[in-house]
Amino acid sequence: MNELILDFANWLASQTFSIGLHESFYLYNWIETTHVLTLMVSLGLLCIIDLRMLGWCFTQVPASKIAERLTKPMLAGFVVMFATGILLYTAIPVRTSQSLWFRIKVILLLAAFINAVLFHRHMKASIDTWDRAPVPPARTRIAAGLSLALWAGVVVTGRFIAYDWFDCGEPNPAWIDAFIGCTNPAA
Amino acid sequence: MRLLDLFTWLETSPVGAFVKDKGATFATIEAVHLMALAVLGGTVLATDLRLMNVVLRDIPAQTIVFTAHRWFKISLYTLLVTGFFMVAGVATKCYHNFYFWVKMAALAAGIAFVFAIKMPLLRGNIDELRPATLKLVALASMSLWFLVAASGRWIGFS
Repeated sequence: MNELILDFANWLASQTFSIGLHESFYLYNWIETTHVLTLMVSLGLLCIIDLRMLGWCFTQVPASKIAERLTKPMLAGFVVMFATGILLYTAIPVRTSQSLWFRIKVILLLAAFINAVLFHRHMKASIDTWDRAPVPPARTRIAAGLSLALWAGVVVTGRFIAYDWFDCGEPNPAWIDAFIGCTNPAA
Repeated sequence: MRLLDLFTWLETSPVGAFVKDKGATFATIEAVHLMALAVLGGTVLATDLRLMNVVLRDIPAQTIVFTAHRWFKISLYTLLVTGFFMVAGVATKCYHNFYFWVKMAALAAGIAFVFAIKMPLLRGNIDELRPATLKLVALASMSLWFLVAASGRWIGFS
């Protein structure tokens, strides 16, 4: 699996558009800036929804209204954030593929996605019983808390990608080199 | 005392040294700063898009504005505290960085706009305000806070 990922990353790194993205000062920086700005849109609105589900804000507004009305702009933000994230990966594919933080970030993203799908199902099935309750039931609050925790993890690990701690070639424990797929740790 | 001396003192102070020299301190503070920025963005968007009649149209604007403002203040204070520590770690770099001063100007303008113009205006009867005025206030607010975030990101590029 690690070899497959590395082969793909090496192939991507040799493509003209990858080199162009990496070498372009303004394009790369604007993509990264857009990535941060859409964090304010997507994660910001997600925080508002989760805080309502925790019973911490907008308690006088039905939970379904906050969720339904803010989901569209939130998803629009996520689409742009995901697209700019792909472009950032495309610009530096090999190092990013072998970054411990990037790999943890992807796992957290998957966990956040699964949590969101399960939460949406739970909400559809039971919203009528707690829609107007200032503090939703425990299961809803746990899902909202988990969502915030997972996204906080995504932000932290995303920011840590920029640092070279645990990069291949660093004096890492063997299990980290195995996890991030360093084919030649001593290199 | 020149302003540069103040920045140099800050960087060499125990706070500056702690942020600069202790492993992942700067990066961790930076991550908290980003999370607070996300919450601030959410409150600004929920408020301003409501004022523009784009989202949450069936909920009174007052409800959205005043509830969101509480969380806006929490995230702003978190940003100011974490921002201070981040600057302390790289104070002299910030002093010579054009985008740092752009961000500080935008931040000062954003804070002044929210507390001296936007909130006093909205504390009256929002329904009596002209839609064009509300849209202008919302657009100015979103522009200022997005400028704060964008210029903040550019500090790291130069």
